[in-house]
Amino acid sequence: MPREIAVLDALMPSLLLVFLLSLLLQWGLDWLVGRYGLYRYVWHPPLFRLALFVCCFGGLGLLAMQ
Amino acid sequence: MKAALQQHAAVLREAGLDWLFVAKTLLAMFVTVWLAMRMDLQQPATAMMTVAILSHPHSGMVLAKGFYRALGTLVGCLAAVVLVSLFPQQRLLLLAGMALWIGLCAGGAAFYRNFMSYGFVLAGYTVGIVVLPVVNQPQLLFESAMMRGSEVLLGIVVVGIISDVLFPQRLGTVLRQSVASQFSGFMGFVSGSLGGVLDRSQLEKAHMRFVADTVQLENLRASVVFEDSGIRVHSPRLQRLNQHFMAVSTSYQSLHHLMNRLQGEAGRPVRDHLMGLCDRLARAIGEHTGSDAGQVAALEARLAALRPELGQAVTRLRQRLAGEDRATRLDFDTGAELLERVTLELHDYVAAFAVLTGHRRPPLLQRHEQVVFSAGNDALGAVLSGVRVATVLLIMGVFWIVSAWPHGGTAMLLTAIFSGLFASAPNPGAIVRNITGGFAVGMSLAFVCLFFVLNRMDGFGLMVAGIVPFLLPGLYLMARPWRPGLGMGWVLGFTYILNLHNGMSFDPVYFINEALSQMAGVLVVGVMFSLFGNASSNQWLRERLLGRLREQVVRAATAPLAGLKARFESASRDLMMQMVVHGGAGDRRFLGWALAVNETGRALIEVRERLATLPAPQPDVEAAVQALARLYQAPSDSRYRLAVQRLSWALDACHDRYVLAQLHLLRLALLDRNSVLADCVASDVVVLPEVSLAP
Repeated sequence: MPREIAVLDALMPSLLLVFLLSLLLQWGLDWLVGRYGLYRYVWHPPLFRLALFVCCFGGLGLLAMQ
Repeated sequence: MKAALQQHAAVLREAGLDWLFVAKTLLAMFVTVWLAMRMDLQQPATAMMTVAILSHPHSGMVLAKGFYRALGTLVGCLAAVVLVSLFPQQRLLLLAGMALWIGLCAGGAAFYRNFMSYGFVLAGYTVGIVVLPVVNQPQLLFESAMMRGSEVLLGIVVVGIISDVLFPQRLGTVLRQSVASQFSGFMGFVSGSLGGVLDRSQLEKAHMRFVADTVQLENLRASVVFEDSGIRVHSPRLQRLNQHFMAVSTSYQSLHHLMNRLQGEAGRPVRDHLMGLCDRLARAIGEHTGSDAGQVAALEARLAALRPELGQAVTRLRQRLAGEDRATRLDFDTGAELLERVTLELHDYVAAFAVLTGHRRPPLLQRHEQVVFSAGNDALGAVLSGVRVATVLLIMGVFWIVSAWPHGGTAMLLTAIFSGLFASAPNPGAIVRNITGGFAVGMSLAFVCLFFVLNRMDGFGLMVAGIVPFLLPGLYLMARPWRPGLGMGWVLGFTYILNLHNGMSFDPVYFINEALSQMAGVLVVGVMFSLFGNASSNQWLRERLLGRLREQVVRAATAPLAGLKARFESASRDLMMQMVVHGGAGDRRFLGWALAVNETGRALIEVRERLATLPAPQPDVEAAVQALARLYQAPSDSRYRLAVQRLSWALDACHDRYVLAQLHLLRLALLDRNSVLADCVASDVVVLPEVSLAP
């Protein structure tokens, strides 16, 4: 994947797309975890949410930039 | 001794929370500035201001505000690019376009008064912060939009993460506590008052409290969904719980009003019978009103068992009263129907609460079971608010151009920010006065900090050390409720004029010019709010709110029935809360109207729902409903007489017991000499001869 993509002729980092994608992914995962009450088994839910997002973004970013 | 120690511990804990907030905000501010400087953003100060505006002790609030701020910023950046590309060479058109856009956004903000309004405000003033710094070099606009966007988003991300991850004070906890206290408060009120008599002022006070509870719960819910996905799943259930709460509190009040109206010798036998029935309900609720899962489940079971039992008791009493005259039977039927409705709704409320406290996972709600809290939004008020902001900005823009004021843009920017932020706040004039004071303090401190401290400091660490002592008191004031706005003004004034960026410049002349124009911008907002404030200072707008509250009865009488009950209950409460926020709780007239509107509107909806299920149309009842709607639209003697007359005709013509009970309730409410309607019509009209009720 190129480092920058053109949106309406404005160059944007393609990581931004990955960022948005992982936001969506994290939102879905967060909904699932909340729906099944799995946060009860987590010590620090907000930290878990953040870590989940970092994992999503990091993983997807590494995949996309390969 | 022990009590004193505990008291000290509580005070210390509260103070500890305040200082935790201060520490977290400071950390977030400096992490943001460091990142912004590392990333070579143009104005790290913008990111720092974002942090200051967003920070709040509860993480759910920060996340909710951050979410809408991000949306508003993106829309605002887009609007800025479009505006400048439309009029790159036309300063007048550009200013007019900006004023129009910001006015539009201010109108939207006044229309939606929750956090959505925050998004609108941001979409408005982001245009200002993007366009005004580069107004003389339009070719730099795109970069400016990207930079401001990045700075704001950076601030949002940092403050969101820090407030949510580092020692979070969860809003979810507050929500759980307030749901539980709403429940036990209401149950305690019901079980304590079922056996006795509550006069009108006590009912008004209780209604006030329940309305405040309802609206607070809805506001908390709207913010908590950003913080806790466990609660987000329950969010439709919380909305339903609130809806049940509103329904039962309205019905329970109607019951009390009815009992008060039945006082006196004539109503005595009916009253005694009804009291006996109330006693059964009181026994079922019992003394304890705890809110833990086991107690609530037991209460739910008792209420479920009570309902058929109550129905049988009512039937027995009705047979016993068969020989009495029609008025007595009507009184009894009305009371019994109301009590059964209260029991049913109380059971629904307790059941909804039991689901929330229970440990088993409830199934998701079906779409048709979901309800929305509809707010009483005011289109005309929103338009006025938009026009006000747009006019002020236009005047400032023209003044800027005519006077060729080099710093006019800054003044305009500050006006845009504060006129939007506080447009719908209660008593914005006082807040803006505090902010002005805070700005003055913050800017003077910034002068000292910049020209006597920071110019001797080298490196990021020393810079932080040089700034913190000046910022700390302001942040602490932000955490305290004392003089709202003072701390905010202090922190914003300080950070904005300090304008931290890579490669600082130390120019006292520029600083003082800039400070003067910022002060001018804030002062203009103060003048604007004192000349034409919102409902807090404007009697006409308050009367309009009252008119809109009465209009809810018209809605109840005419709007389509689907979902009407929920819309009516929430909108009338929201309007009442607005009046309380702006007018203070002392105004008895508003409270009186709120009670009357609640009781009448609810009974009208019940009548219409019942009519829809009856096979034959009932023109007399329809006419009575319409007459009541007209009366509430504009109370007058003739309309009052007409409504009473139509109600009597409808009572004679109708034969359905449920509709009769509701009509009788409406008629009693209308004839009640203590109600607020009685103040609106001439006294000789109220004392009507008893209408002959044909047997």
